Amino acid sequence: MNLLLQIWGGYTRLTRRWPGIAAIIPFIPVLALWTVVSEAGVFPRAFFPGPADVVRAFFTLTYKGILPDYLQDSLIRLATGAAVGMALGIPLGILIGTSRWAHRICWPVLLFFQAIGDIAWLPILLIWFGFGLTTMTFVIVYTVLFPVVLNTVLGVESVPRDLARAALSLGASRARVLWEVTLPGALPNIITGLRNGLGYGWRALIAVEMIVGTSGIGFMMFDARRAGSTVEILLGMIILGLLWYIVDAWVLAPLERVTGQRWGLVTS
Amino acid sequence: MKTLSLRNLGKTYFDPYAGAHVTAVHDVSLDVELGEFISVVGPSGCGKTTILNMIAGFIPYSKGDILLDGKPVHGPGPERGVVFQSFALFPWKTVLDNVGFGPKMRGVPKAERDRIAREYLALAGLSHAAHRYPNELSGGMQQRVGVVRALANNPDVLLMDEPFASVDAQTRMTLQEELTRIWQERKPTVIFITHDVPEAVFLANRVVVLSKGRVLDEIAVDLPRPRVWDDLVKDDHFKQLSARVLQMVRAA
Repeated sequence: MNLLLQIWGGYTRLTRRWPGIAAIIPFIPVLALWTVVSEAGVFPRAFFPGPADVVRAFFTLTYKGILPDYLQDSLIRLATGAAVGMALGIPLGILIGTSRWAHRICWPVLLFFQAIGDIAWLPILLIWFGFGLTTMTFVIVYTVLFPVVLNTVLGVESVPRDLARAALSLGASRARVLWEVTLPGALPNIITGLRNGLGYGWRALIAVEMIVGTSGIGFMMFDARRAGSTVEILLGMIILGLLWYIVDAWVLAPLERVTGQRWGLVTS
Repeated sequence: MKTLSLRNLGKTYFDPYAGAHVTAVHDVSLDVELGEFISVVGPSGCGKTTILNMIAGFIPYSKGDILLDGKPVHGPGPERGVVFQSFALFPWKTVLDNVGFGPKMRGVPKAERDRIAREYLALAGLSHAAHRYPNELSGGMQQRVGVVRALANNPDVLLMDEPFASVDAQTRMTLQEELTRIWQERKPTVIFITHDVPEAVFLANRVVVLSKGRVLDEIAVDLPRPRVWDDLVKDDHFKQLSARVLQMVRAA
């Protein structure tokens, strides 16, 4: 009993000093289970490779330059899509959030198109644009757009009316109010929208790469299926999870927390 | 010398839920002298906040005139500073940048507007809080910032809408004393909306009592300044004035 308490105390002190460790430790039992099951030979090795095989595949593919190239392709596509999605989504969200008329006109249309999920566009996109970058970019932008627009609208509407009034009474023009009050007031929600949008976009990207891709992580996984290489498929899956964990936990979530605290939305 | 005149001011709006026109302000005429401190009191629903919002330009008026130095006012403008019950500080700006916001909108360079902001923060005893953010301050300190932010912009009229209603009773008394002190130093023209009768009498030169969208009566407050609560709670004249105003408000 005493020993357990000591372990618990040690773990708490350790993770407080190095928070990164707290993220790694929960995966140790998962890895252990995976190793045991694969080593025990419950399933044929070709269907169910172990962690060591996947690590070996990681080094081979990195050495050949395939993995870095594909990873780069996927990330650039996601970044481009996210940038375009934000460039369209934030102004649209601000327009809908500030104008009653824009809200009335755009909102039903927006909800309608939100229901037609990313992948549902693929058949018609393939006919229009073929198997290529245009189709992929369209889907990513489409996926990122909705969370960004909807959260921006929410953010704009959540800015207290008195803040805009205060700015106007201090001599701000309507344009200055937009820049000095509306945008910063909506920023925490915009970041939430971006966080959701990137999450959906990342998943949509992999799906699209599987179908229309000529490169990228999704393509690598689907291509490996053709060759029957379970190792590469598992490697792809692990990379997807890891990469998202890094982006979300180390970049987006802290950003969201910091703005939320500063803006007084979250009490630290 | 008149600064602000309300002439037969009225506000009627359509209430879509009731399906009828509602008159919040019937007919209000009022002249405010330069450097005067006016309190407007009345029961809830008497139209006092509506009047303030019309003077501030936040809502249009349906009849009459609002004249500032003889010129009609439409829409919000920096010559009419506003202090809000909700404080309405910009949460993403430091106290210094909040107070410097008005000068920034006028195009005053950074160094100069920081100097102005520091001067006004010193006036309210807030110099130490210049680099803090609003949500790190108590309610009383936030409203001090709200008051000096409006003052730092040098408005012709300072409009205050129940500014001390959401702070605790002790802090409120301190804020009231500070406001009278600042008013004596700077002599801004102030219109102060409140439903708290002792507060109205304590602060003002003149108390305007509203009822159902009309001016019921005006009472001049000739109490000597500086005013502090420790003296006034025992002062018979203050008690008489407060009692008179209170009677009117309750009968209104």
